[in-house]
Amino acid sequence: MSGPADAVTRGALQSVLAAVDAASYGYGVAGAHLPAASRSAAQRDWAELQVARDGLVSMLASRGVPAPAARDAYQLPFPVHNAAAAVSLAGYLQNRLAAAYLGVVALDDPALRAWGARQAQACAVRATGWLDRTVAFPGLSARAVGPAPAGSAPDGSARPSASP
Amino acid sequence: MRADLRRRSVLAAAGAAVPLLAAGCKGVGGLGTLPRPRPDVAVLRAAIGTEQALIARYRSALAASPGLKDTLDQVLDQHLAHLAVLRSRLVGPAATPRPARTSPAAAGQATVGLSALAAAEQAAAGALVSQLATASPSLAQLLASISASEASHAALLRMHRTAS
Repeated sequence: MSGPADAVTRGALQSVLAAVDAASYGYGVAGAHLPAASRSAAQRDWAELQVARDGLVSMLASRGVPAPAARDAYQLPFPVHNAAAAVSLAGYLQNRLAAAYLGVVALDDPALRAWGARQAQACAVRATGWLDRTVAFPGLSARAVGPAPAGSAPDGSARPSASP
Repeated sequence: MRADLRRRSVLAAAGAAVPLLAAGCKGVGGLGTLPRPRPDVAVLRAAIGTEQALIARYRSALAASPGLKDTLDQVLDQHLAHLAVLRSRLVGPAATPRPARTSPAAAGQATVGLSALAAAEQAAAGALVSQLATASPSLAQLLASISASEASHAALLRMHRTAS
Protein backbone atom coordinates (compact mmCIF):
# COMPACT_ATOMS: atom_id res chain seq x y z
CA MET A 1 0.00 0.00 0.00
CA SER A 2 3.04 2.22 0.25
CA GLY A 3 3.54 4.57 -2.69
CA PRO A 4 5.67 7.57 -3.51
CA ALA A 5 3.15 9.91 -1.89
CA ASP A 6 3.42 7.97 1.36
CA ALA A 7 7.19 8.24 1.22
CA VAL A 8 6.94 12.01 0.78
CA THR A 9 4.54 12.23 3.74
CA ARG A 10 6.84 10.15 5.91
CA GLY A 11 9.80 12.29 4.89
CA ALA A 12 7.98 15.53 5.78
CA LEU A 13 6.91 14.17 9.18
CA GLN A 14 10.43 12.92 9.86
CA SER A 15 11.82 16.37 9.04
CA VAL A 16 9.42 17.92 11.54
CA LEU A 17 10.49 15.37 14.14
CA ALA A 18 14.16 16.20 13.52
CA ALA A 19 13.39 19.93 13.88
CA VAL A 20 11.46 19.25 17.11
CA ASP A 21 14.40 17.30 18.53
CA ALA A 22 16.88 19.98 17.50
CA ALA A 23 14.64 22.63 19.10
CA SER A 24 14.32 20.62 22.33
CA TYR A 25 18.11 20.44 22.54
CA GLY A 26 18.41 24.16 21.78
CA TYR A 27 15.92 25.06 24.50
CA GLY A 28 18.05 23.07 26.95
CA VAL A 29 21.04 25.25 26.05
CA ALA A 30 18.99 28.47 26.04
CA GLY A 31 17.37 27.67 29.39
CA ALA A 32 20.75 27.68 31.12
CA HIS A 33 21.33 31.31 30.06
CA LEU A 34 17.84 32.75 30.46
CA PRO A 35 16.91 34.96 33.41
CA ALA A 36 14.50 33.42 35.87
CA ALA A 37 11.60 35.48 34.47
CA SER A 38 11.93 33.90 31.03
CA ARG A 39 12.62 30.39 32.19
CA SER A 40 8.98 29.44 32.66
CA ALA A 41 8.22 30.48 29.07
CA ALA A 42 11.12 28.30 27.89
CA GLN A 43 9.83 25.41 29.97
CA ARG A 44 6.36 25.85 28.49
CA ASP A 45 7.77 25.79 24.96
CA TRP A 46 9.91 22.78 25.81
CA ALA A 47 6.88 20.93 27.18
CA GLU A 48 4.98 21.72 23.97
CA LEU A 49 7.86 20.29 21.98
CA GLN A 50 7.58 17.03 23.91
CA VAL A 51 3.85 16.90 23.16
CA ALA A 52 4.62 17.58 19.49
CA ARG A 53 7.22 14.79 19.53
CA ASP A 54 4.72 12.30 20.97
CA GLY A 55 2.19 13.26 18.32
CA LEU A 56 4.70 12.89 15.50
CA VAL A 57 5.86 9.51 16.80
CA SER A 58 2.22 8.33 16.70
CA MET A 59 1.70 9.74 13.21
CA LEU A 60 4.80 7.97 11.96
CA ALA A 61 3.89 4.73 13.77
CA SER A 62 0.46 4.72 12.12
CA ARG A 63 2.35 4.79 8.81
CA GLY A 64 4.55 1.90 9.86
CA VAL A 65 7.65 4.02 10.47
CA PRO A 66 9.60 3.77 13.70
CA ALA A 67 10.67 7.20 14.97
CA PRO A 68 14.40 7.69 15.35
CA ALA A 69 15.64 8.65 18.79
CA ALA A 70 16.84 12.21 19.31
CA ARG A 71 20.56 12.79 19.00
CA ASP A 72 22.72 13.64 21.97
CA ALA A 73 23.67 17.04 20.57
CA TYR A 74 22.80 19.37 17.72
CA GLN A 75 24.84 22.14 16.18
CA LEU A 76 23.59 25.56 17.22
CA PRO A 77 23.35 28.36 14.66
CA PHE A 78 25.45 30.71 16.81
CA PRO A 79 27.24 30.60 20.16
CA VAL A 80 24.95 31.06 23.16
CA HIS A 81 26.72 32.52 26.19
CA ASN A 82 24.26 35.08 27.51
CA ALA A 83 20.56 35.84 27.91
CA ALA A 84 20.27 37.88 24.69
CA ALA A 85 21.70 35.06 22.60
CA ALA A 86 19.46 32.57 24.43
CA VAL A 87 16.37 34.60 23.53
CA SER A 88 17.53 34.86 19.90
CA LEU A 89 18.08 31.12 19.84
CA ALA A 90 14.55 30.40 21.05
CA GLY A 91 13.12 32.63 18.33
CA TYR A 92 15.41 31.11 15.73
CA LEU A 93 14.44 27.55 16.67
CA GLN A 94 10.74 28.37 16.36
CA ASN A 95 11.29 29.76 12.86
CA ARG A 96 13.20 26.61 11.90
CA LEU A 97 10.35 24.53 13.22
CA ALA A 98 7.86 26.60 11.22
CA ALA A 99 9.93 25.81 8.10
CA ALA A 100 9.63 22.08 8.82
CA TYR A 101 5.87 22.36 9.29
CA LEU A 102 5.61 24.15 5.95
CA GLY A 103 7.04 20.97 4.44
CA VAL A 104 3.87 19.22 5.63
CA VAL A 105 1.73 21.99 4.09
CA ALA A 106 3.13 21.03 0.65
CA LEU A 107 1.66 17.51 0.92
CA ASP A 108 -1.54 16.56 -0.91
CA ASP A 109 -3.58 15.58 2.15
CA PRO A 110 -5.83 18.58 3.03
CA ALA A 111 -6.04 17.58 6.70
CA LEU A 112 -2.25 17.43 7.00
CA ARG A 113 -1.95 20.75 5.20
CA ALA A 114 -4.27 22.46 7.66
CA TRP A 115 -2.51 20.81 10.60
CA GLY A 116 0.91 21.89 9.35
CA ALA A 117 -0.33 25.44 8.83
CA ARG A 118 -1.76 25.67 12.34
CA GLN A 119 1.49 24.36 13.79
CA ALA A 120 3.46 26.92 11.76
CA GLN A 121 1.16 29.62 13.17
CA ALA A 122 1.91 28.44 16.70
CA CYS A 123 5.66 28.52 15.98
CA ALA A 124 5.45 32.08 14.64
CA VAL A 125 3.45 33.17 17.68
CA ARG A 126 6.03 31.64 20.03
CA ALA A 127 8.90 33.24 18.08
CA THR A 128 7.18 36.61 18.44
CA GLY A 129 6.81 36.05 22.17
CA TRP A 130 10.60 35.72 22.38
CA LEU A 131 11.73 38.32 19.88
CA ASP A 132 8.96 40.94 20.27
CA ARG A 133 8.83 41.30 16.50
CA THR A 134 7.27 39.53 13.58
CA VAL A 135 8.44 38.53 10.12
CA ALA A 136 6.53 38.64 6.84
CA PHE A 137 7.20 35.04 5.84
CA PRO A 138 7.88 32.76 8.81
CA GLY A 139 9.60 29.55 7.81
CA LEU A 140 10.17 30.53 4.17
CA SER A 141 13.52 31.35 2.62
CA ALA A 142 14.00 34.33 0.32
CA ARG A 143 14.19 31.93 -2.61
CA ALA A 144 10.87 30.29 -1.76
CA VAL A 145 9.14 33.65 -1.48
CA GLY A 146 10.37 34.66 -4.91
CA PRO A 147 11.42 38.08 -6.09
CA ALA A 148 11.08 40.05 -2.90
CA PRO A 149 9.86 43.60 -3.02
CA ALA A 150 12.19 46.22 -1.60
CA GLY A 151 12.03 46.46 2.13
CA SER A 152 10.74 42.99 2.84
CA ALA A 153 13.21 40.71 4.49
CA PRO A 154 12.32 37.05 4.75
CA ASP A 155 13.54 35.74 8.03
CA GLY A 156 16.36 33.63 6.61
CA SER A 157 15.21 30.78 8.79
CA ALA A 158 16.17 28.19 6.20
CA ARG A 159 19.83 28.67 7.03
CA PRO A 160 21.23 25.17 7.29
CA SER A 161 23.30 25.86 10.39
CA ALA A 162 20.73 24.59 12.89
CA SER A 163 20.53 21.22 11.20
CA PRO A 164 21.93 18.35 13.16
CA MET B 1 -45.46 32.10 -3.44
CA ARG B 2 -46.67 31.51 -6.96
CA ALA B 3 -43.79 33.51 -8.40
CA ASP B 4 -41.44 31.43 -6.32
CA LEU B 5 -42.94 28.21 -7.60
CA ARG B 6 -42.72 29.45 -11.14
CA ARG B 7 -39.05 30.33 -10.69
CA ARG B 8 -38.40 26.89 -9.31
CA SER B 9 -40.05 25.17 -12.23
CA VAL B 10 -38.07 27.31 -14.65
CA LEU B 11 -34.88 26.36 -12.84
CA ALA B 12 -35.89 22.71 -12.88
CA ALA B 13 -36.54 22.91 -16.60
CA ALA B 14 -33.21 24.62 -17.15
CA GLY B 15 -31.50 21.91 -15.12
CA ALA B 16 -33.20 19.22 -17.16
CA ALA B 17 -32.12 20.89 -20.38
CA VAL B 18 -28.43 20.84 -19.52
CA PRO B 19 -27.83 17.12 -20.08
CA LEU B 20 -29.65 17.35 -23.41
CA LEU B 21 -27.47 20.23 -24.52
CA ALA B 22 -24.39 18.45 -23.29
CA ALA B 23 -25.41 15.31 -25.16
CA GLY B 24 -26.05 17.38 -28.26
CA CYS B 25 -22.54 18.80 -28.11
CA LYS B 26 -20.85 15.48 -27.69
CA GLY B 27 -20.10 15.04 -31.35
CA VAL B 28 -18.49 18.44 -31.76
CA GLY B 29 -15.02 17.56 -30.61
CA GLY B 30 -13.46 20.59 -32.26
CA LEU B 31 -15.02 22.94 -29.76
CA GLY B 32 -13.04 21.42 -26.95
CA THR B 33 -13.51 22.58 -23.41
CA LEU B 34 -13.33 26.12 -22.23
CA PRO B 35 -10.16 26.91 -20.32
CA ARG B 36 -11.08 26.90 -16.68
CA PRO B 37 -9.36 29.34 -14.34
CA ARG B 38 -6.88 27.46 -12.18
CA PRO B 39 -7.96 27.18 -8.56
CA ASP B 40 -4.86 29.14 -7.54
CA VAL B 41 -6.24 32.24 -9.26
CA ALA B 42 -9.37 32.32 -7.11
CA VAL B 43 -7.37 31.62 -3.96
CA LEU B 44 -4.85 34.34 -4.83
CA ARG B 45 -7.57 36.87 -5.55
CA ALA B 46 -9.21 36.18 -2.19
CA ALA B 47 -5.88 36.47 -0.38
CA ILE B 48 -5.06 39.72 -2.20
CA GLY B 49 -8.44 41.17 -1.23
CA THR B 50 -7.84 40.30 2.42
CA GLU B 51 -4.40 41.91 2.38
CA GLN B 52 -5.79 45.07 0.78
CA ALA B 53 -8.47 45.29 3.44
CA LEU B 54 -5.93 44.80 6.25
CA ILE B 55 -3.59 47.41 4.75
CA ALA B 56 -6.47 49.91 4.64
CA ARG B 57 -7.28 49.19 8.28
CA TYR B 58 -3.67 49.75 9.35
CA ARG B 59 -3.50 53.03 7.42
CA SER B 60 -6.69 54.18 9.14
CA ALA B 61 -5.35 53.11 12.50
CA LEU B 62 -2.06 54.94 11.90
CA ALA B 63 -3.91 58.11 10.97
CA ALA B 64 -6.11 57.85 14.05
CA SER B 65 -3.47 56.73 16.54
CA PRO B 66 -0.02 58.09 15.67
CA GLY B 67 1.14 56.91 19.11
CA LEU B 68 1.01 53.33 17.86
CA LYS B 69 3.25 54.10 14.89
CA ASP B 70 6.20 51.88 15.80
CA THR B 71 4.10 48.75 16.16
CA LEU B 72 1.72 49.45 13.31
CA ASP B 73 4.43 50.43 10.80
CA GLN B 74 6.21 47.13 11.33
CA VAL B 75 3.07 45.13 10.69
CA LEU B 76 1.91 47.31 7.80
CA ASP B 77 5.26 46.81 6.02
CA GLN B 78 4.82 43.06 6.30
CA HIS B 79 1.31 43.21 4.84
CA LEU B 80 2.68 45.24 1.93
CA ALA B 81 5.27 42.49 1.43
CA HIS B 82 2.50 39.84 1.51
CA LEU B 83 0.51 41.79 -1.06
CA ALA B 84 3.49 42.24 -3.39
CA VAL B 85 4.36 38.53 -3.35
CA LEU B 86 0.74 37.44 -3.82
CA ARG B 87 0.37 39.81 -6.78
CA SER B 88 3.60 38.50 -8.32
CA ARG B 89 2.08 35.01 -8.26
CA LEU B 90 -1.03 36.09 -10.10
CA VAL B 91 -0.34 35.30 -13.72
CA GLY B 92 -2.77 36.22 -16.44
CA PRO B 93 -5.13 39.15 -16.35
CA ALA B 94 -4.38 41.35 -13.40
CA ALA B 95 -6.98 41.41 -10.73
CA THR B 96 -9.14 44.46 -10.82
CA PRO B 97 -7.98 46.56 -7.93
CA ARG B 98 -10.85 46.35 -5.53
CA PRO B 99 -11.33 49.17 -3.10
CA ALA B 100 -10.71 47.69 0.28
CA ARG B 101 -13.76 47.41 2.42
CA THR B 102 -13.32 49.56 5.47
CA SER B 103 -16.09 51.22 7.26
CA PRO B 104 -15.72 54.98 6.85
CA ALA B 105 -16.75 55.41 10.46
CA ALA B 106 -13.84 53.35 11.70
CA ALA B 107 -11.30 55.47 9.89
CA GLY B 108 -11.96 58.59 11.90
CA GLN B 109 -12.10 57.04 15.31
CA ALA B 110 -9.27 56.96 17.78
CA THR B 111 -10.78 53.73 19.01
CA VAL B 112 -9.38 51.75 16.08
CA GLY B 113 -7.72 49.74 18.75
CA LEU B 114 -5.10 47.09 18.81
CA SER B 115 -7.71 44.55 19.91
CA ALA B 116 -9.79 45.07 16.77
CA LEU B 117 -6.71 44.80 14.58
CA ALA B 118 -5.61 41.66 16.42
CA ALA B 119 -9.03 40.12 15.83
CA ALA B 120 -8.84 41.00 12.12
CA GLU B 121 -5.38 39.41 11.88
CA GLN B 122 -6.58 36.27 13.60
CA ALA B 123 -9.57 36.02 11.27
CA ALA B 124 -7.34 36.52 8.21
CA ALA B 125 -4.93 33.83 9.47
CA GLY B 126 -7.82 31.39 9.90
CA ALA B 127 -9.30 32.20 6.50
CA LEU B 128 -6.01 31.43 4.77
CA VAL B 129 -5.81 28.00 6.39
CA SER B 130 -9.26 27.21 5.01
CA GLN B 131 -8.00 28.03 1.50
CA LEU B 132 -5.09 25.59 1.50
CA ALA B 133 -6.87 22.47 0.23
CA THR B 134 -7.22 23.57 -3.38
CA ALA B 135 -3.94 25.48 -3.71
CA SER B 136 -0.85 24.17 -5.47
CA PRO B 137 1.84 22.95 -3.02
CA SER B 138 4.06 26.03 -3.33
CA LEU B 139 1.13 28.44 -3.03
CA ALA B 140 -0.15 26.47 -0.03
CA GLN B 141 3.23 26.98 1.65
CA LEU B 142 3.20 30.69 0.88
CA LEU B 143 -0.35 31.08 2.22
CA ALA B 144 0.50 29.09 5.34
CA SER B 145 3.54 31.28 5.93
CA ILE B 146 1.47 34.44 5.50
CA SER B 147 -1.14 32.94 7.81
CA ALA B 148 1.59 32.31 10.41
CA SER B 149 2.78 35.90 9.99
CA GLU B 150 -0.75 37.15 10.60
CA ALA B 151 -1.21 34.96 13.66
CA SER B 152 2.04 36.43 15.01
CA HIS B 153 0.80 39.95 14.24
CA ALA B 154 -2.25 39.21 16.39
CA ALA B 155 0.06 38.03 19.17
CA LEU B 156 2.30 41.11 18.86
CA LEU B 157 -0.68 43.49 18.96
CA ARG B 158 -2.05 41.75 22.05
CA MET B 159 1.36 41.96 23.74
CA HIS B 160 1.61 45.67 23.00
CA ARG B 161 -1.96 46.32 24.09
CA THR B 162 -1.18 44.71 27.43
CA ALA B 163 2.08 46.65 27.71
CA SER B 164 0.62 50.06 26.85
